[in-house]
Amino acid sequence: MKRLLRHSLFLASMGVVGAVHAHHSGAMFDDTKVIELTGVVKEFQYTNPHSWLLVDITNSDGSVTTWGFEAEGPSTLMRAGIRKGDLPPGTPITIRGNPMKDGRSGSAWIDAVVNGKTVNPRNGFAVIPAAE
Amino acid sequence: MTELKAAVRLSLFGILLVAADALTAQEDWLAKDANWNEHKTRLQAFGERFENAWELYTYLQETANGGNALTWEDMPKPAYDWSGVYTRTGGGLSFDPDISANETTAKLTEAGASARQRKIDLITSTGGEYDPLSDCRPPSFPRWATEPFLHEFVVTPNQTWLMNEMVNDVRRVYTDGRAHTLPEDAYASANGDTIGFWTDGMLVTHTTYLISGQYQRGTQPDYSDRVDVVERWKKVDGNTLEADYWVFDPVNLSEPWYTRQSWTQLANDDDLLRLRYWDCRENQNNDILEKNDGTSQFSDFDFIENDAAVSTDEDVKQAAE
Repeated sequence: MKRLLRHSLFLASMGVVGAVHAHHSGAMFDDTKVIELTGVVKEFQYTNPHSWLLVDITNSDGSVTTWGFEAEGPSTLMRAGIRKGDLPPGTPITIRGNPMKDGRSGSAWIDAVVNGKTVNPRNGFAVIPAAE
Repeated sequence: MTELKAAVRLSLFGILLVAADALTAQEDWLAKDANWNEHKTRLQAFGERFENAWELYTYLQETANGGNALTWEDMPKPAYDWSGVYTRTGGGLSFDPDISANETTAKLTEAGASARQRKIDLITSTGGEYDPLSDCRPPSFPRWATEPFLHEFVVTPNQTWLMNEMVNDVRRVYTDGRAHTLPEDAYASANGDTIGFWTDGMLVTHTTYLISGQYQRGTQPDYSDRVDVVERWKKVDGNTLEADYWVFDPVNLSEPWYTRQSWTQLANDDDLLRLRYWDCRENQNNDILEKNDGTSQFSDFDFIENDAAVSTDEDVKQAAE
């Protein structure tokens, strides 16, 4: 938790805002909109060049929609303190993202609350130097 | 009259001494400190003294008397121990890390400025773009310097390897005294052909035979396949590698473009950070298509049964046909 807090403070001090899409253009996401959904983790695809967190959301009519939240790859998530084992299938989660413009249930992952703790995949771009 | 001649000779000698001092000072390694703006201006001016990158490289090699050969006994010394996991220190998607990604310090030719304007116009009109990296093509050099993610650097007496996790990218710098591939045998490639030498703890390189590309996405300029680059790498403290970059490109640059690039060794006390294989085909959800308007879109998610039925994007529907 201390590590995540340190990352957040560093990013705040650097004025890092908005999405970072280091591998492809972010044109498919609507960064003027933010969605917040609550559901359970279906699968954490911890892959390069991007990871995808699949979350099952139960709709008001009882049907289930699977949403995919895109983040950077494993090394950047590791730097953000997010390990694959932190989010096994079935984990309750409240997650925020910038939705896709074309109506599909995909989104650029902003942050999430898991077990009362906030995680932010974009913190993985913070540069925390090794001790000399 | 004799006294006048002596005075003229003395003055000329003084001018030569001052000029020699200025030249020497210009080619020295200059710290990125509080005087960086002045230092950067001097290093830019130093590059502008040369017609091309090879001329600059050979000048540095000659002034270093050819450089010094390393041995395995040298490897543990701080100047050559580049072990650890690094990432770009800063700069985001800007080739010149001193300014924002929407600006450039490159002195562009008319062709270079036109190419940049086309990129700006596309982004303005469509709100996006397509990056060849999206299907795991290499960033190519010199764009390589701007890419984030994890890096490792390995110095050996005869070669130095400069590695980026992105697309499993390795640049090899040959420091064993070999020459470039002969022109009749050479062909252009993403990272080209790099040779170098060591002097005073610095690695000086020359890279040529490169393909055309862009310094980065967004409004960063393009480079042509006539680009070549001189780098001067130095470990400036226990955690930081810096490199002078002089990029020459007669098509897009009216003057060489000088920048100081930097990489920081990351904290990795738990050893969790390691370079991992990078393949766009490992996950279907990372499949990016180039849209007809020149921007990007996901083609077919594995968590949606029928993307074409859900998406409002005509390119997604076309891709499904």
